[in-house]
Order: sequence, then structure tokens, then C-alpha cells
Amino acid sequence: MTSTTHPAIHTTGLTKHYDDVPALVDLDLEVRRGEVFGFLGPNGAGKTTTIRTLLDLIRPTAGSASILGLDTRADAVEIRRHIGYLPSDLAMYPNLTGKDLLTYFANLRGGVDWGHVDALATRLKADLGKKVGDLSSGNRQKVGIIQAFMSRPDLVLMDEPSTGLDPLVQQEFQTMMREVADDGRSVFLSSHTLSEVQRVADRVGIIRQGRLVDVEGVHDLRSKAIRRVELVFDAPVTAEEFAGVAGVRDTQVRDNAIMLSFDGHMEELLAVATGRHHLVDINSEEADLEEIFLAYYREDAVDGESREEAMA
Amino acid sequence: MLLSSIFAKSVRDRWTGELVAGIAMAVLLWMTMAIYADFDVSFYYDLPEAAQQLAGIDPAVGGLAGLAYGSIYNLLGALTLAGIAISIGASGVAGEERDGTISLLLGNPRSRSRLLGAKTTAMVVLSVFGLVLLWIGGLASPAVLDQDVSGVNLVALLVHLGANAVLWGLLATAIGAWTGNRTAASGAAAGLMVGSYLAASIVPLFPDVADWAAVSPWYWFSGANPAANGIDAGYLALQLGTAALLAAVAFVGVNRRDLRERRGRTTLVDRLRSHPMTQRYADRVAGSARVSSLVAKASSDHQALLVVVGGIVAMLGLYYGPMYNLIPEAFADAMNQFPDALMSMIGQADISTGAGWLQAELFSLVVPIGFITVLVSVGAKSLAGEEADRTMGLLLANPVSRSRVLFAKAAVLVLYAVALVVIASIGALAGALLGGLDVSLPNVVVTMSLGGLLGLVMGAVAFLVGAATGRVRWATSTATGVALLAYFAWSFLPLSQDLAGWADWSPFDWYLGSDPLLTGVDWTDVGLFVVTITILVVLAVPMFARRDLRG
Repeated sequence: MTSTTHPAIHTTGLTKHYDDVPALVDLDLEVRRGEVFGFLGPNGAGKTTTIRTLLDLIRPTAGSASILGLDTRADAVEIRRHIGYLPSDLAMYPNLTGKDLLTYFANLRGGVDWGHVDALATRLKADLGKKVGDLSSGNRQKVGIIQAFMSRPDLVLMDEPSTGLDPLVQQEFQTMMREVADDGRSVFLSSHTLSEVQRVADRVGIIRQGRLVDVEGVHDLRSKAIRRVELVFDAPVTAEEFAGVAGVRDTQVRDNAIMLSFDGHMEELLAVATGRHHLVDINSEEADLEEIFLAYYREDAVDGESREEAMA
Repeated sequence: MLLSSIFAKSVRDRWTGELVAGIAMAVLLWMTMAIYADFDVSFYYDLPEAAQQLAGIDPAVGGLAGLAYGSIYNLLGALTLAGIAISIGASGVAGEERDGTISLLLGNPRSRSRLLGAKTTAMVVLSVFGLVLLWIGGLASPAVLDQDVSGVNLVALLVHLGANAVLWGLLATAIGAWTGNRTAASGAAAGLMVGSYLAASIVPLFPDVADWAAVSPWYWFSGANPAANGIDAGYLALQLGTAALLAAVAFVGVNRRDLRERRGRTTLVDRLRSHPMTQRYADRVAGSARVSSLVAKASSDHQALLVVVGGIVAMLGLYYGPMYNLIPEAFADAMNQFPDALMSMIGQADISTGAGWLQAELFSLVVPIGFITVLVSVGAKSLAGEEADRTMGLLLANPVSRSRVLFAKAAVLVLYAVALVVIASIGALAGALLGGLDVSLPNVVVTMSLGGLLGLVMGAVAFLVGAATGRVRWATSTATGVALLAYFAWSFLPLSQDLAGWADWSPFDWYLGSDPLLTGVDWTDVGLFVVTITILVVLAVPMFARRDLRG
């Protein structure tokens, strides 16, 4: 067994170029024991490159990484005894049944408890008797999740794991991730969905264009969360009336409605909205990642120094 | 316009096959004419009528033209063009269903009928393209070789041949349109086509039932001897009428059923696994045993190819033994007078002896082609295949090193070579015994084993390129190129005194160069094979270990 004093993942200046194109730049990251770490970024940000480098499927151009204290290059095989992996856009041997596939990997791995496998299959309502090629993408994903969890690994690395899962199964899957963390083991969860990461992760790393933008606790992130808010009134309003509320940006007025980006306190906004007008309808939705990144960059421009301190 | 783009895409996906087939047929026609140009070919017309019919030889035309156009166009060309049409027809709608792209396609504002129409039009246009190539080849060969083929009505032959191809293609289309099962469509149509060809060739030989041959669609093409007699309006009407009927059937079928989603193949073993009586046993073989290790899993991956190709080589071995007693003396004498270049291609074998016959018919081409096909395909897919299928990452997330995966896959390549040698040897030995050939049976096994090593060298080339690049196609084409180069080096370099020494470097020379059928095993050759194969596999280790993997 690996010593539990080492972090689950530790990278130092990890860099990967494809030919001359940088896919990952100077990644310094630490994932602790007993946490679910969300790795958040838009498509093409470098999430998959990071995971594939950690697994020694591709080799870093510069920098190094260790998993559970073991070097990802030198101790690659030993590391794989302790991890579970679920690739993105999962492809498996289509002519094997789920059961065959799990047996194959269990044989390569050794020491898999089939009672545990059956329990996982029951929890996810997975059909292991069918050929993988005949399964829908969500049901195939369940087989992939079981194979990542079945050996009770010290670290589970998952790349966009919720693809195709229905909400009920997603919830069960999130419970499974929490159980791993509560057991003192770790989960590295790559995702482009903020809400998913918020629900399950302890800490979140945000990656954009190959660079780590920020690492923070999920509660801090939530307090920063920007929302798109639409307020509908019974009569026309002006943008100026809302400009004074802290956290309001990008206001657009159309007839009786106003749309704005908002990361302040909701009660202040509502106070202005209901104070002078008759509010008919309100719509609020999570901003997409790109907007959050833009918000981060805006802050960076103003407050770059203190952010770097925060990261250190 | 979507219709034109479905049509255009279908043509684009398929035109290379038709091009290769057309050129291959033209080259074969030219080779046949060139080889037989200076011989008296009348002995072919003394062969039993059944043999002539089956070989496509056209006695109504006679002479060189009857032999060349008959055996190449009447038979090979007709079977090939019809086979391609069947393949295109079967993939039409059923192929899109198998690939899971049909719903995407029909998500556009076009009807099923228009989709089928576009696919069918593409099939017909491609068949016409193939015919044009055959027509050009058919005119060019006699012109280049200065042969008189005035008795041949090439256009009439090709019109009937083309109508025949379209008819079989539409049969496959119709079956595919009704079932949505591509494999069933191509299998059933190809089976019916071969049955029809056999019926058209054999039934006329029995006077009592000869008239029934006209029931077979193939007879509407070959029975009228269009090359000699011109277009037969009645038979052509039958061909085109049947084709139109099949097209109508296809349109009805595709519009009246539920379209299928993408699904995996259901094999015999799957059925056994789902049947309560056989479940336990089949589960053990197909399930737990198959996935018990890297080697077991990899061994199960290409069984179909092994069984089919191994079976064909074994069948041909079985067939050529007794065949030896049937060839006329005159033919053997004629062949022994063939130009040196042609004799080189079959390893300078003297086919008047049993060993020479086996070498010329079985070992010089059939065994290398069969073995190299299987082992190059398996070698190329060993490592690169897992990357292309994007399963390599999943596999290597387990505690196995890259080199352990590599050696397991290499071991499977060797196992496949052994299996091929065993299967093919059984056929060849049985054939030699049945035909009473004057050849040493142990030497047959030795030669077959050397063939296995030859295939293994080419397989190892594919394996190495696959390990170094992760690309199946590069691996396959490099190994195929090396095999062709080695074959031509061995065949043709000895014709030049200055270059003859270089032929020793060809693995084909290590295979047949010491006449193993006559002299038995030459350990130097075995050593060269083993060393080369080992070097190729060992080189693959660092190539595979130091690379970024693709999947």
C-alpha cells in the first residue's frame, strides 16, 4: 500500500505540447486524500490532456507529476494498482458483455470483490448481461463507472463521467463519489458542468486554455457564481435604475423586461425590483462557464496581485 | 440538394473499389492474352464441357479470345462486378442502419424512398463505371498485343454483364430494405448469385433438365453467349425486368417497416449463451475463458478471419491434390515452356511432378497470400487496433505495463501463425494423400511451416509499424508494401545476373528458395526467419514504450 501521507495527486510545472501547440502549461496542482476534486473547464481546456498525462498514456513535455507519492513515469504500473479510470467518450469492447468486460479487467487487476461489483451494478441499475455494443450510451457509461470503482481504488480519475446518465442515476453516482471521499480515498472529477461539480466536489480547480486559473473551495466558488437574471414588469423600466445595485453587469432592456448578469446579493436586487415596480415574473439561471471565466479575468485585471496570493 | 449529396457521398465512398476491380480485370485480361498468345490453346476446348462452363470459357467464340474474355470477363469480371454491386446494395439502407447513421440522415427533410433512390442510383452508376473500365481494357489488350479478336462482341458481353451485376445488386438492396440486416442481405444475395452461376453452368450439361437452366438469372447473362451472338433481347428484358421488380420490392420494403438502430452482431455463440441448455458451457468458452488473460482475449479477437482464410487455404490444398491427376499432359508441357518471367512467379516449379504442382498451385501464391493477409491484419491491429478503438487507455489503466501488453499481443500473433499452419497442413496433407502425389508428407508440413514464418515476418512488420505509430492503416500498407517488394525481388531479380544475389535477402527466398518440398528443412532459412521476427518485435518495445498513445 502507498503511504497515506502523500497527496493523491501532485503536479509540478506539468506542461504538454502537441507539436508546438501548448495543451497544458505549467500546471501546479495538489489533490488531497479524502476529497472530491472537481476539475472544471470548457471543451478543449486541457482536462483530458491532464488526466492522460497522469496515467502515463501521454508524456509531459516538461514538469512532473506524482500519484499517491509515486512518480507517474517511473511507477506507472504500480500506480495503476491503486487507481480507477473512466475515460471521456467511453469506448469499450463492443462484443463483450458488461460482465465479460469487468471480468477481463478484474483478471488483469486481481483482487476484485465480486460482491462489491454486484452491489455497484444494483445501485446503478446496470445490465451486465448485455453486450456493451448493444447498450445505450448511458447504460454503457454505467459499466464504465463500475469498472472504475470495482477495485475500491485509492484514487478514481474520471473524465466527464456523467455523460448520458439520467438524473436519478447521477444522484446515486454522486453519492458513490462522496462515499469514496468519506472513506479517506480521493476522486478527481473532470467536468464542464459547474452545477455537477458544485454538488459533489470539496474543492474545484478551474482550467482554461491549458492554464490553471484558480483553485478554491466549492463554497467560495458558489458565492462567486454569476447568474443570468431576467426580471419582467408590468411597465417599461430603465437600465439606470438597476445600475446602482452591487454585482449587476451587462444590462439589457427590452420593453417591460430587463436582463442582467448578477453576482451580488439577490435580496438587494429584489428590493430595487419590487420597490418601485410591479414585478410580474423572474427568471434566474446559472451563467455558463465562459461567463464565469470572463468574470475571473475581469477580477484578474483589477485585482491580479491578491488572486495570486490566494492561489499560493 | 440532399439527394445529389447522398448520391455523391455513396459514389465517393465506393468508387475506388470499382476502379481497382476494373483495372485488375483489365490487367488480368492483358496477362492472360499475353501468356497464351504464343501457345496453341486448343487443348482448353478439349476439356470436359463442365470444366469449360465453370471456367467461363466460351467455346462459341473459341480460340484465344474465347479463353481470355471467357475466363476473365465472363467469369471473374462478372462475379466481381456483381459482388461489388451486392456489397453496395446491401450497405445502402441496411448499412446506414448498422452504422446508426440512418436517423441522422432521415432527420433531414427527405423521404426513405429518395434515400433508397439515391443509393440505388449510385450503385447503378458505379456498375456502369466498372463496365467502362472493362470496355477500355477489353479494347486495349488485343490492340497492344496485336491479337485478332474480331469474333468477340465486347459491347453485347458487357451489356449483359452489367445488367447481371445490377440485378444481383438490387437483390441485395431489396433484402436489405426489407430486413435492415446488411450481413443477411450481402450473404443471401452472394449465396444466391453463386448458386445461380453454378446452376447456369452445370444444369445445361444434363439434357433432361437442360431447359431449367433458363430459370437461373445467371443464365440470362451467360446462356445466350452474348460475346459470340450479340445482345439477346429476350434475356436482356428478363434481366432488366427482374431488376426493376426487385427495385420496386425494395421501395415497398423500406417504407413499411421500423428502421433499426445500431446494434452489435449476434453470433452463434451469443445464441448459445442465451439458451438455457447451452448457457453454462457457452458462457465458459465465450465469456470467462475468453477474458481470462490478455492472451486469451487477444486470441479471440480475430478468430473469424483465421477460420475463413485458414479454411480457404485448407480447402484449396485438399482440392489441388486430386486435381493433379486431372490435368492433361499437354497442359503440363505447355506450362513448362512458359516464359521465364512467368515461371519465376511460381518459383520455377516443374508442374509435371507432384511436388512442383503443389508448389506452383498452392505454395507459391495461395499460402503466402492467405497467411500474409491474416497475420498482417492481426499484427496491424494488435496494438494500433486498441488505440483506434480507444480501448488502450482503459486497458492500460490496469496494472499492466506497456511491454507486457506488447508481448502478449506478439504471442497471439505467433499463435495465429501456428493455427494457420496446422489448419492448412491438414488440408494439404489430405489432398496429397487423396491425389497420391509423389511428395514427402513431412516436407509438406515443413514448407507450410516456412510459409507460417513468412507470414509472421510480414505480420511482425505490421506489428512494429502499429506499435510505433498507433495507426492500423499505416501498419497494414507498410507490411503489404514490404511483402510485395519481397515477392517481386524474389521473382524477378534472379532473371538478371547482376541482381540475382539480392534475391537472397527476400523472405520469399528463405521460404521457397531451398526447395523445401524436395529437400526438407533448411535451418539457415529458419534461423533467418526467427532472427528477423525477433528483431522486429524487440524493436517494437522501445517504439511503443516511448510514445504518446492515441486512444
